[in-house]
Amino acid sequence: MSAEQWGFIFKQENCIQCHGCEVACKTWRGIDLGVSWRRVINIWNGEYPHITCSSTSISCMHCSEPYCIDVCTTGAISKRDTDGIVLVDTKQCVGCRACYDACPYKVPQFGLDGTMQKCDMCLSGKPGIPDFTQNAPPCVSTCPTKALVLKKMPASEKKEMEKAMKVFFNQSDEYQHV
Amino acid sequence: MTKQPGQAFKNCALTFDEARAMARKNGEKVVPTFCAMCGPNPTCGVYAFVKNGRFTRVAGMMESPINKGGVCPKGHAAPQWVYSPDRLKKPLLRKGDKNEGLFQEIPWDEAISIIADRLQQQKKQYGPESLAILAPAHRSYSNLIRRFLVVHGSPNYGHSGICYVQKEFAFTYTIGCQPRCDYKHADLIILWGRQPIYSGPAMGAVRSLVAAKQRGAKIVAIKPSVEPDVGVGDIWVPLRPGTDAALALSMLNVIVEENLIDAQFVETWCHGYQQLQEHIRKYPPEWGEQITGVPAGQIREIARLYATTKAATIDLGNGVEHAPSSNDAIRSVAILMAITGHLDRPGGNLLGGGKSGMPRPKTVHLPGSYTQEMIDKLVGPEFPRNFQPFWGGTSSSYYRILNSVLTENPYPIRTIISPGTQPTVSMRGSKRIVEALKKVDFYVVLDVTRTADMNYADIILPVSTPYETDHPFESKGNWIMARNKVIEPLADYKSIYEFFLDLGVQMGYGGDFWHGSIADYQNYQLSPFDLTIERLRKHPTGLTFKTEGTARTYENYSRVFQRRSAALSREPYLPQGKVAIYNTIFEREGFNPLPEWREPPESITGTPELTKKYPLILSDYHTSKAYSAAWQRNVPYLRELQPFPMLHIHPETAAVRGIKNNDWIIVESPHGWMKVKAELYPGIRPDTVMILHGWWQGCRELGFDDTPLLDGGANVNNMYSVDGEKAFDPLITAMSSQTLVEVRKYEC
Repeated sequence: MSAEQWGFIFKQENCIQCHGCEVACKTWRGIDLGVSWRRVINIWNGEYPHITCSSTSISCMHCSEPYCIDVCTTGAISKRDTDGIVLVDTKQCVGCRACYDACPYKVPQFGLDGTMQKCDMCLSGKPGIPDFTQNAPPCVSTCPTKALVLKKMPASEKKEMEKAMKVFFNQSDEYQHV
Repeated sequence: MTKQPGQAFKNCALTFDEARAMARKNGEKVVPTFCAMCGPNPTCGVYAFVKNGRFTRVAGMMESPINKGGVCPKGHAAPQWVYSPDRLKKPLLRKGDKNEGLFQEIPWDEAISIIADRLQQQKKQYGPESLAILAPAHRSYSNLIRRFLVVHGSPNYGHSGICYVQKEFAFTYTIGCQPRCDYKHADLIILWGRQPIYSGPAMGAVRSLVAAKQRGAKIVAIKPSVEPDVGVGDIWVPLRPGTDAALALSMLNVIVEENLIDAQFVETWCHGYQQLQEHIRKYPPEWGEQITGVPAGQIREIARLYATTKAATIDLGNGVEHAPSSNDAIRSVAILMAITGHLDRPGGNLLGGGKSGMPRPKTVHLPGSYTQEMIDKLVGPEFPRNFQPFWGGTSSSYYRILNSVLTENPYPIRTIISPGTQPTVSMRGSKRIVEALKKVDFYVVLDVTRTADMNYADIILPVSTPYETDHPFESKGNWIMARNKVIEPLADYKSIYEFFLDLGVQMGYGGDFWHGSIADYQNYQLSPFDLTIERLRKHPTGLTFKTEGTARTYENYSRVFQRRSAALSREPYLPQGKVAIYNTIFEREGFNPLPEWREPPESITGTPELTKKYPLILSDYHTSKAYSAAWQRNVPYLRELQPFPMLHIHPETAAVRGIKNNDWIIVESPHGWMKVKAELYPGIRPDTVMILHGWWQGCRELGFDDTPLLDGGANVNNMYSVDGEKAFDPLITAMSSQTLVEVRKYEC
């Protein structure tokens, strides 16, 4: 595995909860209805009247040690050596949803064909995809307040990002997982 | 939208060169234009991509000084709106009875001549004032509506009476103008009944707010429930809906009693402080707590914090324009700004904007044409006649126009034109509105998609989306840009602009309507720029003017406090040339010279006898992350963000009623009932429930049906009082959006 991997950084203090990233992803990738590769979820902090809200914008974290790969029975999920991007081969996926159960962020999505789909950082390199080492993908560049960053980072930094996202994600409560 | 698996692009915020390069690579066309997915004066710049003649997606325009490349969810969902199965396709003429839904397709020319004939005949028989055009929010075409009405001779421009102009009125008659907020220099920002995030998230206000937060400014949010702006904030002041006036009066009480005023400013620039000192004793924070539900201690804390922070600004939102005490709420806030020395000082509330350095397009709304006769003929003045014309011209209140059809007092409106507005879901008193639409002689609807009340229309006109037309140009701040056509119209469409020009010509008013030429119309507006629309179009990302070098000046009191009013009398807004704490104009016209408290038609403190049956307060949200007012529920990517009408209810309030998250529930007020879903929402007052307004439309792609407009649907405007004595602010219309309700689980 390469020493540097692509990773998202979410700056919670910049997020205004507009959901622009979520819909930018859908239109730019032509995603099926009912499926979200990126979600903005609400987090409640405190209790009335000392309560406030924040949010996290979450997509596949392309984990340094992906749980989804461990549980996949058909080997459909892989982590690319060169840059750490986690990719799914839909031809091999049987739609058993074990990856969904294993994912700490509940990222894997299942569209009309029943196979798993998710964020590929717009970097899967499949035919027709321009390189985007210069600029950011739609979710990042649409953000009015620059709350998302995508960059190459050492594995240690990436692990920190994953840990931070887990904290955000676990703060979100039952009201928002509907 | 076609799925293109695995396909990705490097960026969706682009410069024009990058956008062109990307389009070339992908065999697409790119068109620089404006986003058209939100309300008044939409001016975010976008690049629209077209593949094989189909509009597919947008990228934010880096060159636009308005959005600087950012685009919100509504903006990205535009193609689904354009290609929606809900689009109207042909002009329609009603065949069956009203609400039967039977129409016949007719050509545009025929539709326009039917309308023109009817207007000519009614003008002869009933006078030109028998025509009213509804214009709830100020959009780019609103000035054409004003022009058409003036040329026709009708004063009845139908403003909602609940949006922006109410603040404009109360502020202007108290401190000379509606002030701007100096986010850039403020150490304290009070967002009051304001939602800066859902109202244009990609625009400057949000960037300024986040920047202020990051440089350490303290942010206070005053509103009944937690929204994203509370998330950015430090202090939440959860007041009961519609009680802003009481909160402001109690804050004034604290500031006056504790003498936290700018004595020199008060002495030099305020009229009536002594009367206020006496008057405000009635409103201590303990009184305020009873009305607003905000603890007296917190009222004191906020008042002191505001008065003692030198650079403190209040950003007052549309939330305060929806209560019978609205005028007094707004002017109390204006007085707060004045007596604490926060007016037109760095970090405070500024009187007038900085100089943009750009000329302003020539206006088309004929403001000098109003006569006393026209004012006398207003069917239901938004502001009393002696204050007319006010903002851009004369106006009747939207509701009173419809109500006149039923009461025939002082006369019935005979033709109502609704360009881009849906009275049954956007105006209070839906049951009355439906009756009025059934009865009105002639009702014309213009819209992009099906509307809630089009089945009551005599003529329905399908208009182009702004992505299917090349006008109008837009300008904001120091930026002006031509609109470009992204795709050819998908059906037999005209724009609203073409409609008013064509109708003008057909009515014989061609000389006033550029003989139907959209190019001449735009060139007329562009004359101060020494530009034609064709020459402007040669600048694909528009022209950005340099701001004038001179630094802005502060304390422009002598200039602003002398402004002449727009009313026919042209008397100054502030007769003493000072802040009107004691308002002698209001007094002369028979209104309170000093701000007072006035209860909503139904409330916990105003009608305690109702609270046994209806113990909770209901109000509604004006804006949302996914939708603009009552539109766009049909857009799948947006509907996925907010699929159901959800009533926000505190978990404890829900628990005692056996209501769980996502349960279907019945919400009942003295005026109607809704069937909606419960969202257990810890960030709302436990005595209050709230819901987004504007629900009726289904989304075919996602399998959602339309819901009823009246009882049993999810239309919150069906829930409120429209009592002529209680539901309106006596001076500025400001209809109440508060009532009392009970909530119970829906049993099928």
